Amino acid sequence: MSTLLGTAIAVEARKARGARVMLWITVALLGGLGALTVGMRLGAASGDAQVLAKLGPLADVEGWAGLVGVVVQITAAGGLLAFGVALSWIFGREFADGTVTGLFALPVRRSAIAIAKLVVFLGWAVGVAVLATSVIAAVGLLLGYADTDAAGAAELVRVPVLVLLTALIATPAALAASLGRGLLPGIAATVGTIVLAQVMAVIGVGEWVPFVTPALWAIAPSTVSPAALVAVLSVPLVFGALTTLVWARLQLDR
Amino acid sequence: MNQAHSVPLLEGHALVRRFPGGAGVNGIDLAIAPGEVHAIVGLNGAGKTTLMRLLLGMLGPQSGSVLLDGVDIADAPPQVWAGAGHLVEHPLAYPELDVRANLQVAARLHGLRRAAAADVAERAIAEFDLARYAGVRASRLSLGNRQRVGLAGALQHGPRLIVLDEPTNALDPAGVILLREALIRRVGAGAGVLVSSHHLDEVARIADRVTVVNAGRVIGMLDPGGIDLERAFFSLVHADDVERSAA
Repeated sequence: MSTLLGTAIAVEARKARGARVMLWITVALLGGLGALTVGMRLGAASGDAQVLAKLGPLADVEGWAGLVGVVVQITAAGGLLAFGVALSWIFGREFADGTVTGLFALPVRRSAIAIAKLVVFLGWAVGVAVLATSVIAAVGLLLGYADTDAAGAAELVRVPVLVLLTALIATPAALAASLGRGLLPGIAATVGTIVLAQVMAVIGVGEWVPFVTPALWAIAPSTVSPAALVAVLSVPLVFGALTTLVWARLQLDR
Repeated sequence: MNQAHSVPLLEGHALVRRFPGGAGVNGIDLAIAPGEVHAIVGLNGAGKTTLMRLLLGMLGPQSGSVLLDGVDIADAPPQVWAGAGHLVEHPLAYPELDVRANLQVAARLHGLRRAAAADVAERAIAEFDLARYAGVRASRLSLGNRQRVGLAGALQHGPRLIVLDEPTNALDPAGVILLREALIRRVGAGAGVLVSSHHLDEVARIADRVTVVNAGRVIGMLDPGGIDLERAFFSLVHADDVERSAA
């Protein structure tokens, strides 16, 4: 069976490579991240009251730490939306395009196809994490931080870790798109996750809520225990397993 | 097109799957033998697609069973499914992939390795006259050409069991002939074909057996060599409707 899981991964990777949707999500996420980050820093530097209010205490933080602080705030919400939309498309499109009927009666099991979709999503997320870090590093270099804050460059490590953790907590979208058999249920689940995370963060119950932990850690690493960070893995494990189960037991009864 | 009587490739026994509102399948027995084309005909809503979904495991029956090579389909190993090819409702044609990539993907999903899948896809492009579109994304194809891609993907890996739901949908006359010849070649090599249709002329050309389905049940057989298939079909359906409304 392992070879057939390999086949399923090869097929899903081929589909993702050809998909303009995935390309556009990547471009929108990276472009948006770069533009918003530069905009916020420039706004803060020029003393814009609204930008300063949005940034709060971050407005006074200089160098790499200030830059990364802005990036993680944007990534926590915007990244979750982008990853949720990507998962909604990867799973929901088989129903929307009607191609799901062709995924029955095959030697490659549907559970293998679901796992392959998750694996390809994870591989793409790793690529996005690397690219996002590169974009932010380039922004920092353009702002001259190589000279003014060389020691602070280690702060950049928070970016790829947050991007990957954000991708992992987007997995409820895969389950929702599979249960709801389309893209919209997945996107709705993503928006719900974002709202839940924001509310939890505001009322201060966050460290042990896996949907909030990554953002809390990225904003203030010292406030989150390593165990809480590891517990974030429960989200992809639980929702990935449930999604695989839904695909294994799928019936075209509606 | 040999009238074969060997062990069935696929058998449905007493299949029942009812949907709210009364549609569905109400107890159908059906078998497909190697070397034959078995056609099921019926009006829209008669239960043909539901029956095909049951036979391919897309739907679980409320009662009854489906055997593939003598094994319940729930337990059928991958190598048994590798010998099946089907097109039910939507062709497996991903809009973002070109025709060649779609055929390669279909071949790989049927268990072929990368190099073999590439060879098979090239042969299918030739057999289904798709060379002009080989590098064209499926999203830019006409409905009929997308159906051709779906049919090529279902037949290219040399399946022993072929299940096609309304395969001539959207095909132009040249496509209908290509499909007919492709099926005849495969049946000649020993494949068994189940095909649903409401085109009685086309069915008469290729079928060895014609089963008539109405209101989710088998109500009789038609002689594919008969003179007026249409009249025979409607008299069966009419008699069944009268009988059911009297009951």
